[in-house]
Amino acid sequence: MKIAVCLKQVPDMESKFKIVEDKKIDESQIAFKINDFDNYAVEAALQLKEKLGGEVIIVTCGPDRASKDMRQAFAMGADWGIHVNDPAVESGDNFVVASVLQKAIESIGDVELVMTGVQAEDDQAAVTGVMLADLMGWPHCTNVKKLEINDKTLTVNRELEGGFNEVLEMSSPAVLTIQSGINEPRYPTLPGIMKAKKKRLDVKKATDLGVSAKPKTDFIKMFFPVSEHKAEIIQGDPATAAAMLIQKLKTEAKVI
Amino acid sequence: MARILAIAEHKNGKLTDGTLELCKAAKTIASELGLEPAAAVLGKDDSIAKEVAKYIPLVFSVSDAALENYTSDGYTQGVKAVVESQDVKGVLVAHSYDGVDYAAKVAMAINAGIVSNCNKARVDGGAVVFTRNTYNGKIQEEKKVNTDKFVATFEKGAYDMEPAGSPGTVTAVSAKIGAVRTTFKGLIETMAGAVDISQAKIIVSGGRGCKDADKYKEFIVTLAKKLGGEFGASRPVVDSGWTEPARQVGQSGKTVSPDLYIAAGISGAIQHIAGMKGAKCIVAINKDPEAPIFNIATYGIVGDLFEVIPAILANL
Repeated sequence: MKIAVCLKQVPDMESKFKIVEDKKIDESQIAFKINDFDNYAVEAALQLKEKLGGEVIIVTCGPDRASKDMRQAFAMGADWGIHVNDPAVESGDNFVVASVLQKAIESIGDVELVMTGVQAEDDQAAVTGVMLADLMGWPHCTNVKKLEINDKTLTVNRELEGGFNEVLEMSSPAVLTIQSGINEPRYPTLPGIMKAKKKRLDVKKATDLGVSAKPKTDFIKMFFPVSEHKAEIIQGDPATAAAMLIQKLKTEAKVI
Repeated sequence: MARILAIAEHKNGKLTDGTLELCKAAKTIASELGLEPAAAVLGKDDSIAKEVAKYIPLVFSVSDAALENYTSDGYTQGVKAVVESQDVKGVLVAHSYDGVDYAAKVAMAINAGIVSNCNKARVDGGAVVFTRNTYNGKIQEEKKVNTDKFVATFEKGAYDMEPAGSPGTVTAVSAKIGAVRTTFKGLIETMAGAVDISQAKIIVSGGRGCKDADKYKEFIVTLAKKLGGEFGASRPVVDSGWTEPARQVGQSGKTVSPDLYIAAGISGAIQHIAGMKGAKCIVAINKDPEAPIFNIATYGIVGDLFEVIPAILANL
């Protein structure tokens, strides 16, 4: 089975963010990594490959720095990848990215399953996978927590509110957006890291793939949220702060 | 007059709170644009549509046996039929599990731009400008569509719930629901028979900042027991297997409202906050002074939980 995994490189969310000119984040102090949800998608794809054979192909839109995390997925066991490195795509929106992913996946040929994270940690949009399925003309399921494949039949659990899962069936080819917790993503091994360096990584522009999609949304600005209710921050070293907190919980909040 | 359309969400014959929030959103946005607010209800009959009409003056009802259970194909076709026949300018969807599953597909079907996961909307020069969370809630951004129509999904709590008023009208809209490529096989309750932390008066929850299963136990579980409460967790802790799924607090887990909720090493993603913001008193302990958890906490300590929790224990 040929499986494409759409992977995005995102900032480590524990970074100290700085906004430049209301428009973008200052990348100089930021460490980048694989979007957590996509990491689970890579693992899910590798487990299927181990069971059914085939290939796992990583497809990424992003600048030069993104190739590091494509290689990380190669080191986990993915076979090769397509890196769409194009400023025109970077300045586009989720629709442009979905259009590029569609053409990149079609260029691979015979892909039967596409997996990606349910959302990217940076834009938190959770729309690209669904748009991609629509462009491919394939069915999809979001928030997948369990997956079984029997020939062409996919049985998936879709996570719902309050601890419920919906079980549904569909036929491949399909697009699945993977929720965290579906598996335990593996760490690359040293031989894996060595092999990853030699794996095929095709770099393309949107025009190479015949994509001319225009964004349907416009970014206006970004800013730090202003909270209406800030916690009363208890100052001091841990011992002082802890003593003060206990006193407040006893006498002010009266909850202990 | 063109319309702003809220898509109702219902489970087992009951409307979700998010639906009432969307009715409020539709009324607010429509009024600022000088348009008419309306709702669409998709189901096997029009019983839910009559219920929604208590909250909004105009309801379009799409009834079809194929709409008995939610499917993305069924919902997309139903919403598209309403949009195309009823002069709809904007479609509002809850950023819920179902909403995330079909809203972008609706946007594709009606050739509209989509702005998802919004918490606010304002009208500027005739365009709707949406505010949304990004970077784990650390940064917000404003976006708008450049298409004729728009689709927006709103996170829970973005608007107050619309109160019931005098009943509006229900208009049937016919839609041919064609191919539905996913088959609903049933619901599973993943936490059935497990511990129930939702009744506890005191809950101490740990997050990613606990680092590993042993430290989660040593610090979070110990403090919870010392306080005579239950221990809980945010999503990454359960994903990593440091504790059982029934202890997960948040949108996909338990909703709790104890007297005291201590969140240690939890950044405060919106999905977690949705499950615990009803607590009477919230204490946040986090190394990162920018963590969104401090925006909703009553008391906060900026510090290392591995130093702060032992200091708390020493005072109990």
